[in-house]
Parts: sequence; structure tokens; C-alpha cells
Amino acid sequence: MELERRRVLRLGGAIAAGAGLTGLTACSGSGDTGQGGTGGEKDKGKISVWSWQGPAAEMKALVPEFNKKYPQIEVTVEDIGNPAIWDKITTGLAAGGQGLADVLHIGVDYLPGYVEKFPGGLADLAPLGANAHKDAFAPGLWQTVSPDGKRVNALPWEANSAGFYYRADLFEKAGVDAGALQTWEETIEAGKEIKAKTGAHLLGIDKPASQADAANFFQMLLQLQGSFYFNLAGDITLDSPEAVKAMTLIKTMNDAGLVSDLAGGWNALMSSLKQGTAAVLSMPTWFGGIIQEQVPGEAGKWKVRLPPAVRRGGSTAAMVNSTHLAVAGSSKHQAAAWSFIEFVLTRPASQVRIYRGKGIAPALMAAYDDAVFHEPSPFFGGQKKGEVFLEALKAPSPAFNYTADYARALKLVTDAQSKVLLKGADPAKVLGEAADQLGRQTGRKVSR
Amino acid sequence: MTVTPTGRTAPAAPFPGAAPRRARRRRVAPYLFVLPALLLFSAFKIYPIGRSFVISLHQTVGGTERFVGADNYTRLLHDPLFWTALKNTAVILAVQVPVMLALATGLAVALNSGLLRGRTVFRLGFFLPMVTGLVAYGIMFSVLLNRDYGLVNWLLDLVGAGPVPWLTDPLWAKVSLGLALTWHYTGYNAVLLLARLQSVPAELYDAAAVDGAGAWASFRHVTLPGLRPALLLTTVLSTIGTLQIFDEPFVLTGGGPDNATLTIGVYLYQNAFKYFDFGYASAIAYALAVLIGILGVIQFRLLGEKT
Repeated sequence: MELERRRVLRLGGAIAAGAGLTGLTACSGSGDTGQGGTGGEKDKGKISVWSWQGPAAEMKALVPEFNKKYPQIEVTVEDIGNPAIWDKITTGLAAGGQGLADVLHIGVDYLPGYVEKFPGGLADLAPLGANAHKDAFAPGLWQTVSPDGKRVNALPWEANSAGFYYRADLFEKAGVDAGALQTWEETIEAGKEIKAKTGAHLLGIDKPASQADAANFFQMLLQLQGSFYFNLAGDITLDSPEAVKAMTLIKTMNDAGLVSDLAGGWNALMSSLKQGTAAVLSMPTWFGGIIQEQVPGEAGKWKVRLPPAVRRGGSTAAMVNSTHLAVAGSSKHQAAAWSFIEFVLTRPASQVRIYRGKGIAPALMAAYDDAVFHEPSPFFGGQKKGEVFLEALKAPSPAFNYTADYARALKLVTDAQSKVLLKGADPAKVLGEAADQLGRQTGRKVSR
Repeated sequence: MTVTPTGRTAPAAPFPGAAPRRARRRRVAPYLFVLPALLLFSAFKIYPIGRSFVISLHQTVGGTERFVGADNYTRLLHDPLFWTALKNTAVILAVQVPVMLALATGLAVALNSGLLRGRTVFRLGFFLPMVTGLVAYGIMFSVLLNRDYGLVNWLLDLVGAGPVPWLTDPLWAKVSLGLALTWHYTGYNAVLLLARLQSVPAELYDAAAVDGAGAWASFRHVTLPGLRPALLLTTVLSTIGTLQIFDEPFVLTGGGPDNATLTIGVYLYQNAFKYFDFGYASAIAYALAVLIGILGVIQFRLLGEKT
């Protein structure tokens, strides 16, 4: 595992060095100001922050406390909405940083693309002192924000591990012990029992991929096997044995009638949750808060555990997603923006408050010392939900190379999944085609 | 070589004095008047059009723009997704546009009829969808057509018809898109046709009636020829609109399922704003512009007045 990490560090270093060089020549105008934290003063200025729904609300709530420490920094937090925020940041970066907010909330799926395609678009946080917090975050996250170990593109915020939220009452009714499920194959067998005895589906997938995140479940099955769409060298691994295994599991579930259709994205998912269509929601950490919010009447019926392994004895921990705060390269108040980021992300008190508010799991390990992560949850049958995910967060997890072409890969994967789910296509065949097409589109090598 | 006298002594114009200056001023004045518009037009239309052509010849690699010549265009020819998008757009063009224009023509004739009471209300009613925000109506249709919770399937269920996978089946998704487009644009086209219809002289209908023409014959021989310029206009506008179609598939289906409703507009957007491939997106834009130009010319040739 450690070896793999080092490899990605080196690889990231080469990419970032190249990006840095080209950035110097390409971004003479407005972009690259990340050279020495020259942007404004650390405790004075007017900064704006772009985020979405829940996190935006939580950051807004932190502002009065922040202003006690920094009375001369005026902060405006804007809820741009997700996914609208990605288009807005992309347009701003493409326009050389024009109109961007000072602080940007960016998901792991977009960060490498922004860094690679718009060198200098995000400020280097290292000169502002980011490296002091290098060891404060969950293992593996620092290389995501600082691939070369020198330039720091952002600071980690959320660290979401794969989870397995399930309706304990339905499992009980079907006579299945959810805690004993070791593999997804066993889970499929359990799903058949549940369907027969309760009528509920095992889980739901947005089959026609009406939203970009329709492949979340597939991606999680891949990550549980330590695999991804690209390997650490950036070659395409879309049709690796692990990927074919993951897609085959999905096909088996679907063919057995265990998958409900969540076409329509978020709204469909929420309706399904309220109607109890599925016994399992294999969702990351942050989703626990959503369940609690949407079906408060079902307290005690829900439980949570880490997902079963794909292969017997395999890993049950996978970090499936993280989000970060970055400073725009074009910001005139980079130092003040950094003060805000540091206040929100590196102070356990801030993160504990955000967790209490919206259940957003911090990447900051020191936050987990707080009792809130170790309290039994009445909603989840008295389980210590925070500890379940903390266990996953501490587990060694391999590095995943999202690359700048993640969005293209994701599109091809969701198309392949739709073919499997709607037309019964062969997993190996559609994934092979997807890999070849991605190779043609990006010029990357397909690793077979 | 002859040395031409220059300077004060040699008159530059045949008319000495103030006259040429006034003439020159008169010649310059109109340009000065249109200059502000011209400047704005250049800044917001000509420059982006030119710039996007330059971008279409480049590819961004590691943050730097690299000149790649016609690479993006040749890539376009070998891109199965581009061809899928083109095919989908062509299907909409071949199926939805004729149906919509036929409906609009019928509607225009009905709205023009003296037999109809409360004509203004009807005209307004049919035109109103046009002013609905594109995204708003896209979302409205996606709610109406939802397989499990949509009103349309609920109504179908009442009459015993099974649920239709409107947005989740490749074929039905195309149908849904066509329905949404027809709802939105038919009234608009009907109003354009109606305007023309009202300029067809009533005497022609009288003459036709005298000659013993029935309703169908007078529609064929008087109404349709009278509508010809308006039909040309609506056809060309609908063609351009269809080729550029973006909002409806973007909101309704996101181009899915399995690219069944991927249009050139959506594909262009994906390449620019999802994959940050601005060079390729610009090449798609140029291919689209050329296509629109060619189709426009063909339509003018086929439908235009023969003089």
C-alpha cells in the first residue's frame, strides 16, 4: 500500500511540475499568483465563498465565530447549488479567474481536472502555511490535494467512506442477519429472501443514468477492490477483472429483480427512501444525516455497517469521495481566504459543529476525539455510527488516480451500466468498448 | 517615373473649397451612426466567432494551448458519439418538425376561422408555452413524465394502460423529447403562419368558391400557396432551432438513456464544460454552423419563390 502511495506521489509530482512550468508561461495575465501569498493581508479584507446547500449553510453559521477572531474580514458565503457550482467554477477558470469567488468548495472528482487544465487557476496554499497541517487529515487525503508534496491545491474537508445503511426491520422479517453478510454474493442471496418475504428491492440504481452519479454503486464496488477507472500511471483500467466483477454483480442483482429504478436522480432517491422501496442504501458517510432528516419516523428501524467485501476476505473500507476548499488563483485576498479555510478546516471545534449540524464527516482526524463521534445514535438503533466510519477512515486505503479525464470515464461507465441494466448487455463486452473509446478520446493507454 | 505634385498647391479634388469636405462628411456620417452597434457586434459576435475558430485548431495539453491544425475536425469524423448526436438530431428534424409544422398550419387555419369564438383567448393560450422559461418547462415535463410518480402515467393507469417508461427507455425518451418540443413551439409557429394567412386576399377564396372549390381544394390551391413564404420561414427557423437544441434534452434526460437523446448541442456542452475540451467543443460548434448553413441553403432552394 505504502509503495503505491509513493508511486502516486512521484507521478503527481511530475504532473504538477509540468503544470507549474506551463502555468508560468501561460498564465501571465490573471492566473498564477500562488507564488508567495502576496494576495492581501491575513486578517483584513472582503472574501466570498462558493459552496452548495448543506455545507454552505454550515459555513455561514461559522462566520460570526470567525469574525470574533478576524473582525476585519468580511465573509459572504454563497449557496451556488450542486451541480451548478461546477459549471460556474469551470467558466470562471476558463475566463482566467474572472468572477470567481475567493474560496471554492471542490469535489475530488473535479479537483485534478481543474488543476491540470487550468494551471494557476487555484492558488498554491503552501506559501500560506498549508503544509503545517499535512498530517492532520485522514490517510491518503494529502496526496489528493498535494500530489507532489510541495504545491498544495486545496485543503481536505469531507472524507466519505463507503457505507451500508439498511432497514434492520426488513432484514429481520426476512430472517437474514445483516451483520453476518461477508460478501456481495451473500448479500444478493439475502436480497432474494427479502424480496420474497417483504417485497422490498435490495437496492436502487438510476438505471438510465439520468444523473451523472448513477454509477456511484459500481464505483464503490471497484474501490472496495482497490481498483478504479485509471491506474496510478494514468492508464485506463475500465475493463479490468475488478471492473467486470463489479458490473457482473450489478447485472446479477438486476436480473434477479433486486434493483429498483431510481431514474430521476435525487428526487427519485428521496421518494424511494420515503416509500421504503429498498432494504439497503449503499451510500457514503454523509447519507446517514439525509436518512435521519427524510424519515425521522423510522428511528430504530435503520442500522449501518461497512459494506460487504466483493471477494471473501477483501476490504470493506473504501474512501469513495472527498471535498476540499481551495483559493482562487485570481483572488486579491488570498491570505484572508486562507485564514477562513484554516479556521473552518483545521480547528476541531469547527468540524464538530458542522458534523452536528449536517452529519458531514470531517477529514480532520483530531475532530474525532470529540464525544459526538462516539455517541450511540437513537436513530440507528443505538449504534455508534460515527465509530463505524472512523474505522473505515483509519483503514489503509489505496490511492485512486482520478486524473483530468474522470468526467469522460464516468460518462462512458454510466452508458455501459445503462446498457447492462436496460438491455441486458454483457458486462465484459460493454466495459471493453468503453475502455477502447476512452482511449481514443483521451489518447491514454488501455491497460489490459 | 513621374513626380506627382503634392501639398497645398495641387488640388486633390475637382471641386475646390468646402464642397468635398461636406460630401466626405456626408459619406462618413452614416458609419459614425452605426459605429456603436458595429463595435458591440464585433466585440460580442464577430470576436467570439473568430476566437472559437482559433480555439478549434488548438488542444489544451497540461494547461497550454497547442496548435493541432485540423486534428479536432478529423477526430470529429471518427467519433461515434458525435455521429450518434447527429443521428438523434436528424431524427428529431425528420419526425418532430414536420409533425409540428402540420399541426401549426392546422392551428393557424382554425384560429383564422370566423366560426371560432373567443379567438384571442385561443391565440394567447397556444402562444403562452413559448414564453415559458426553457428550463422551467423542461423540469415540468420531467415531473409529468416520471415513470413512477408522474401525472401522465397516473392518468394512463386510470384507463388501464400500463406505465410507460417515458424518460428511461431509449425510444420513449425520444418520443418524450418530441412531445415537449411540440408543446413548446407549435403555438409560436402557428402565430407566424396566422400572420401570413391574414394577408391572403379574401377575394381569392371567393373566386375559388365561385369556381366550385370545396374546403380542401381551396386550402390546397389558395391557403397553402399563400402560406409559402411563412412556411419557408418557419421551416428554416425550426431547422436551425432543432440543430441547436440543448435545453430540453439537457433538463429532461441529460442526453440519456444510453445517449438516445444526445443532441449536438448537449454533446458540445459536455465537451466544453464537463471535459474542459474547449478545442473539440469549438470544432463541434463549427461543424454545426456549417451544417445549418447547408440545410438553410437547401431549404431556400426547395421552398423559396421561383422567380
